[in-house]
Amino acid sequence: MENYNEIKINFEKFINTFKTDDNDLEFRKKSFANFISKGFPVSRDENWKYSPLVQDLKKFSHLNNQKTGINALPNELKENFDHYSIIFVDGVLILTDINDTGLVIKKNNSFLKSVKKAGENPILNLNNAFADQGYLIEVNSNTILTRPIVIYNYFSKNFLSNFCSSKNFILLNEKSNVVVYEKTIYDSSIEYLITSNTEIFLAKGSKLKKYDLNCNNKHSTIFNFVKANLDENSELEYFTFSENINSCRDESIINLNGKNCFANVNAIQLLRNNCNHEIKLQINHNEENTKSSQFVKSALYDSANAIFQGKIFVDSKAQKTDGYQLSRALLLSDNVKFFSKPELEIYADDVKCSHGSSSGSVDEESIFYLRSRGISKEDAKMMMINGFLGEVIEKITEDKFKNIFFNKLDHNSNHD
Amino acid sequence: MIDIKNLRASVDDKEILKGLNLKIGKGEVHAIMGPNGSGKSTLSYVLSGKEGYNVEGEIKFNKKNLLELNAEERAREGIFLAFQYPIEIPGVFTNNFLRTSLNSVRKANGKAELNAIDFLKIVKEKAKELNIGEEMLSRPLNVGFSGGEKKRNEILQMSLLEPSFVVMDETDSGLDIDALKIVSNGVNSLRDPERSFLIITHYQRLLNYIKPDFVHVLSDGKIVKTGDWKLALDLEDEGYGQFIN
Repeated sequence: MENYNEIKINFEKFINTFKTDDNDLEFRKKSFANFISKGFPVSRDENWKYSPLVQDLKKFSHLNNQKTGINALPNELKENFDHYSIIFVDGVLILTDINDTGLVIKKNNSFLKSVKKAGENPILNLNNAFADQGYLIEVNSNTILTRPIVIYNYFSKNFLSNFCSSKNFILLNEKSNVVVYEKTIYDSSIEYLITSNTEIFLAKGSKLKKYDLNCNNKHSTIFNFVKANLDENSELEYFTFSENINSCRDESIINLNGKNCFANVNAIQLLRNNCNHEIKLQINHNEENTKSSQFVKSALYDSANAIFQGKIFVDSKAQKTDGYQLSRALLLSDNVKFFSKPELEIYADDVKCSHGSSSGSVDEESIFYLRSRGISKEDAKMMMINGFLGEVIEKITEDKFKNIFFNKLDHNSNHD
Repeated sequence: MIDIKNLRASVDDKEILKGLNLKIGKGEVHAIMGPNGSGKSTLSYVLSGKEGYNVEGEIKFNKKNLLELNAEERAREGIFLAFQYPIEIPGVFTNNFLRTSLNSVRKANGKAELNAIDFLKIVKEKAKELNIGEEMLSRPLNVGFSGGEKKRNEILQMSLLEPSFVVMDETDSGLDIDALKIVSNGVNSLRDPERSFLIITHYQRLLNYIKPDFVHVLSDGKIVKTGDWKLALDLEDEGYGQFIN
């Protein structure tokens, strides 16, 4: 058993100074007790078997979530298109409330909106105990937002704590429509643990497009948790681009609760050096006529390590489910590792579900074809890799963001 | 233009080309015919620089030793292989591929690279001649193309790169009459006193459309007979049996 004495002291100190109500305090204490009862996850636990976090979490024998070195976001990091912005600097939310036509963005002070039952996930328990930052986005019924919302997560060189946790809510009311782009920028060179916990509620006929860019992290250990609940005819398009991330687990649970809702989840893992990235995704088809698609591609260089655990669960009442899952990895060095665990758990008898997973190297016949047209071996290989990953970006339905991510890939080419 | 002497090629321990000699002059069109397994495709791959073969002998191309060059260097020197089975590459868009290819060759030959606008102008014009729609150019390379579309795409690449020596590996396979005509017209319009062709085929049919200056019979890794285009007609009547031991 690990020694959590220091973390216990850190928690005591935190709740003694954190201003909140009794209910919330109770919930935090309960969450923390749940965390302590199990401790950090271990690889014996099937849910964490391949997770890079199991090793990396051991580095955190104390947790300092004091807010230090608060800066503004450097202007050059801001996107130059018209958008609403939510800015975190060094784990602290810097936000002027927005109350525009049909859109409310404010600090999320009511953490208790979250599910209160005792959690199974140890890191989520830790997040529930400590989370003291977060935003709330609410889009009113019938509001179609033309400006996207950009969430900046910036860690500056002045960041001195080793832990930060946020808890966020995105609520789309009936027939509303919004694009959220979240980008994380790491300038800090110290080791820290980041946990985020985002809950998404999509009411009838609403549509959320969420695009996440997470790249170039050399030191941190990251746990991102997303839980989405989809009501009738709602649609979630969720894309994550993870590039050169030191150690990260992106975990999502998506509940398809209403008829004709659709979750379209796509991801790219582009990893070099010793980077570790894990995607754990569970899609629950809880109602009939629901549809989901998972499309994940990984390009792994050097000694990189990628994990994909994707599960489609189909409840006995979820007839006419359409579930699709495909993960493919390019192994570009002898030292990379790719773990894939596709799962189907089906209790209905009239469903269409498929899953596939493959890993391999770049096709030599294709390389020869390109070279026979005067393209150098290196360029041919890069074209193949970018083409392979580009197929995921093609799924993005907003052209502006499609271009942003294609530019990221081009940057990858220039990188070499 | 190209001078092949005592060319031997093997994969693992299996010898496929067993001392092949062939000389092709500027502007000439040669056809190589032969039964299955005679080494026709291997010859096309060895000429275009595919790795994985153990090659001996000599190939001189415009006085350069071709065997010292890798596949992309040969392409930049002006060698073009029209594939029997053009490769499908998902995620790589035809337009983008064509421009990268053309600019790689131009750059190596000291010419300015074309920007997207100038390139599109050229490619659209050439595509039109080959009955290739613009929609096809915006699709991933050869993915979901019909047999005819793939071969027309090969001819489009040829006409963009303007090679001086073209190897066509069973370009007629999988083509219906109409597609064969389009492809042949494309090739014929590229015939030039400065450009030579080596056409590899099983059948005489293609040679009705692209009339060769010389016809060679390849059997068991060697050229066993050479004649003019009438030889192709004889072969169609008599088969390859007379050349197989």
